[in-house]
Amino acid sequence: MSPEPTSLLQGTLDLLILKSLNAGEMHGLGISRRIQQITGGTFVVKPGSLFPCLHRMEEEGWIAAFWGESENNRRAKYYRLTKPGRKQLEAETKRWGRISWAIAQALEVS
Amino acid sequence: MPLPVKVRSFLRNLFLSRRVEADLDQEVHAHLELLIEENIRAGMLPHEAQRAARIELGGVEQVKEQVRDSRTGAFLDSILQDLRFALRQLVRSPGFALTAVLILALGIAANVIVFGVVQALVLRQLDVPHADRVMTLQPKDGGPFVSNPEMRDVRDGNTVFSAVADYEFQDFGFEAKGVTRPVWGCEVSGQYFEVVGIKPFLGRLLERADDDHPGASEVAVISWSAWQSDFGADPNVVGTTVRIDKRPYTIVGVTPEGFHGTEKFAQLDIFVPMANQASLDGFEWLESRSYRNLFSLVRMKDGVTLPQVQAELNAIVARIARQYPKEEEGLALKLARPGMIGDFIGGPIRGFLAGVMVLAGIVLLAACANLGGLFAARTADRAREIAIRMALGSSRWRILRQLLVEAFVISILGGAFACGLSWMALTGLASWHPPTRYPMKFFVLPQPSLILMAFLISVVAGVVFGMMPLRQIFKTDPNEAIKSGGSQSYAGRRWALRDVLLAAQIALCCVTVTAAFVSLRGLGKALTVDLGFNPKNALLTQFDLSQAGYKGDAADHFQRQLLERISQIPGVEAAGYANSTPLSGDTSVGPVFSQQSVDFRPSNRAFYIYRFDVSPGYLAAAGTPLLAGRDVSFADTTKTPSVALVNQEFVRQLFHSEQAVGRYFKNRDGVSIQIVGIVGDGKYFTLSEDQEPAAFFPISQEGNSSTALTVRTQRDTADMVRAIRNVVRDLDVAVPIRELGPWNSQLGLTFFPIQVATVALGLFGAFGLLLSIAGTFGLASYTVSKRLRELSIRVALGAQAKEILSAALGRMLLLLASGSIVGLLLGMAASRLLSAIVYQATAQDPFVLAAVTFTLLLTGTLSVAGPVRRVLHADPAILLREQ
Repeated sequence: MSPEPTSLLQGTLDLLILKSLNAGEMHGLGISRRIQQITGGTFVVKPGSLFPCLHRMEEEGWIAAFWGESENNRRAKYYRLTKPGRKQLEAETKRWGRISWAIAQALEVS
Repeated sequence: MPLPVKVRSFLRNLFLSRRVEADLDQEVHAHLELLIEENIRAGMLPHEAQRAARIELGGVEQVKEQVRDSRTGAFLDSILQDLRFALRQLVRSPGFALTAVLILALGIAANVIVFGVVQALVLRQLDVPHADRVMTLQPKDGGPFVSNPEMRDVRDGNTVFSAVADYEFQDFGFEAKGVTRPVWGCEVSGQYFEVVGIKPFLGRLLERADDDHPGASEVAVISWSAWQSDFGADPNVVGTTVRIDKRPYTIVGVTPEGFHGTEKFAQLDIFVPMANQASLDGFEWLESRSYRNLFSLVRMKDGVTLPQVQAELNAIVARIARQYPKEEEGLALKLARPGMIGDFIGGPIRGFLAGVMVLAGIVLLAACANLGGLFAARTADRAREIAIRMALGSSRWRILRQLLVEAFVISILGGAFACGLSWMALTGLASWHPPTRYPMKFFVLPQPSLILMAFLISVVAGVVFGMMPLRQIFKTDPNEAIKSGGSQSYAGRRWALRDVLLAAQIALCCVTVTAAFVSLRGLGKALTVDLGFNPKNALLTQFDLSQAGYKGDAADHFQRQLLERISQIPGVEAAGYANSTPLSGDTSVGPVFSQQSVDFRPSNRAFYIYRFDVSPGYLAAAGTPLLAGRDVSFADTTKTPSVALVNQEFVRQLFHSEQAVGRYFKNRDGVSIQIVGIVGDGKYFTLSEDQEPAAFFPISQEGNSSTALTVRTQRDTADMVRAIRNVVRDLDVAVPIRELGPWNSQLGLTFFPIQVATVALGLFGAFGLLLSIAGTFGLASYTVSKRLRELSIRVALGAQAKEILSAALGRMLLLLASGSIVGLLLGMAASRLLSAIVYQATAQDPFVLAAVTFTLLLTGTLSVAGPVRRVLHADPAILLREQ
């Protein structure tokens, strides 16, 4: 399993982060674990990829950051989905659906 | 709305970078804590948990760096960072920074100044509408001069020019508001202002009707600057009557600001119709085909090509030559760019400027090589720092960018400095009046385009020397560099790029030094060359009597009276006058025919001579030796047979023997002239001319209102000047004296080109020398400091001083020697270019060779002396302990 499949498909990580945050606000590690969980362990996101992505998405206005407390009363930076983020999630989901359908079609030929 | 969000983050990243950074730091650390906590919960021991967390995180700094790279405006931000770092670096080593900026500033300034001059004198066209259609016609060989009938024939017989004009410079006695002063102007033919094509600032310009026939209209046009200075910008100046050479003229117009005649380096202030020349000049040349003293200016019709023009010109010229075989045989005209006395001095000036430009380029290249070497050495010194940065995850590109930014900071600072320098130099040059009575002025005012030029040069220079450490950085292996403590083992072992740079730089500097010495030597020779007269202890007074209304016999009478009065002044050893003096710039030339000649076409001549009309006593006053025969006398008149004194070269060329007194030659009109005396050879037109034949005719036989009074005296100059001025005033207060002072100081123009060349080349030479000293010193001390440890071990093991020196600096000396030899050879080749300007320019002169070699040896010794001392005085015990 490649440690950084995101580099293969630009935007995949964006989509996974948006999807994770759709369930509710969470901090970086939470997002990382959530992605691991929902992809059945296929994707393990390293902090070196995660944080740049989070900051970029924040600058795009898709997610918003705030400081909060973790389950164990530790200070941590939390992220939540914004309205443009939700729209982006919808658009990305649709796009991804089209792509995966097209790829599946392509692979079925022959 | 994504854009405002982005803009906000961009601004936040830019201005609140500290808070953003702190936030990021906390976030990554919090993440680390969470990871550790998670690991502990999974059952790890605390230190294991920490280690695993760190491995998963992959380094706090690296993560932060990756985030930074993904931020909006990350590039700008990191450039700013580089900039701040570069400035800090420079402040930390102010000596290096200052040297680098200064070296670069001088190198860039040299180029910008040269470019400014080239732009003003060569690149820029005349400041008239559609300047590309304006040309001048000049003989295929020789000077820029044509005669008025020739230009009239061209004007009336062509279909390719919309206007054809000719003009002559003239200094007039200009009397306005009761004050008479000599003013330079132009006698112009009727279509002059049609060719020029400018619109008057006030009133009107001269028109064809003004030039229809002598006396058609006595009107003048003045320049904008004369209007400012002589008339206080009086708006009612049109219609004012002034007196030009005592004759009333009406001012009908003022030229627009910026128009100063059609030469690029002269300020002309009055324009009068050429038809009136006889009344102004005192003799008639309007209809003379042999009076070739005029410049031409033509405007080509739109759509006509140069080959068409030249073809038609050839046809016209052939027609003229057929029609007037005696005067016009062999006439051939070609088109040239106007503005440089036709294109007469255009060639030498362009050649000289091209040479200087190459030198300036060389100097800049040498400066870049120098700085490149310094940079490469500094990069090598910083090898450890660079290695650490790489180990911490910095990319090579990032490090290179950092160094490039540093180079740019230096080059931009240097460029800004250079702008100031060249601005001052050009402003000074523009307001400078060369030491001559001619209205010379350099219109080289600094322009904004020069700033752009300086900027471009600095950017290019920055890239050139900033790229030098490129290979070093890409080769750096962090492991190696850190292990070996920054002192790379190959320093001083292999030929590095900086060694080649140094050799190249020394070669380049050697070229500038050679050029400087060649011109210095030329100046020395020029100052001691036998002029054929002795300007020391002699005073020269120049005026033109026609400007005060004297002509013919009246002028002759005035001159004789003057000579008589001057000779009576106590302390005058000898006095005499001539129409002009050698090397004064307005020397006449005429053909000489052998006594047997019957056909007086120009092609049949024996040779051309420089001719002077002189009074008795002139030769003694000028210090020209009379070798045989007698001086001219007032007894030689128009009624007695024509006689002349000739120089030795004349005799050699005409008779091929020494005996000449009593023999004859003929002039253009076929008149036999007897040689009554022989005078010593001299220089007549330029210092660099070959020996030319010359003849001196009795002024009493020729008649000339142009007067150059020569007085030889041992008395105090100021007293004598006052006495002479009083005599002239006493005789007629209206005579406008053009020049009055020591003859030496009036030879300014003669020595002017070589002085300019010497100053320019001397500056380049000095700068080149400075560069090579800096470069050699820098590299020598660098080499020594890199190997000091190794050398001290050798000393500790008993090596002799000689061995140490050859180990430490042997290669430096090899570089110095080979660079110098190549440079010397190049310099010798380049010196040939100088021969047009500099008297007897040659680098094969043993004096020059010795001087250059000595200078280079001295330079080399001086620049390695410091490092040598350091090597020899190094104490192995201290050194080995320190490292």
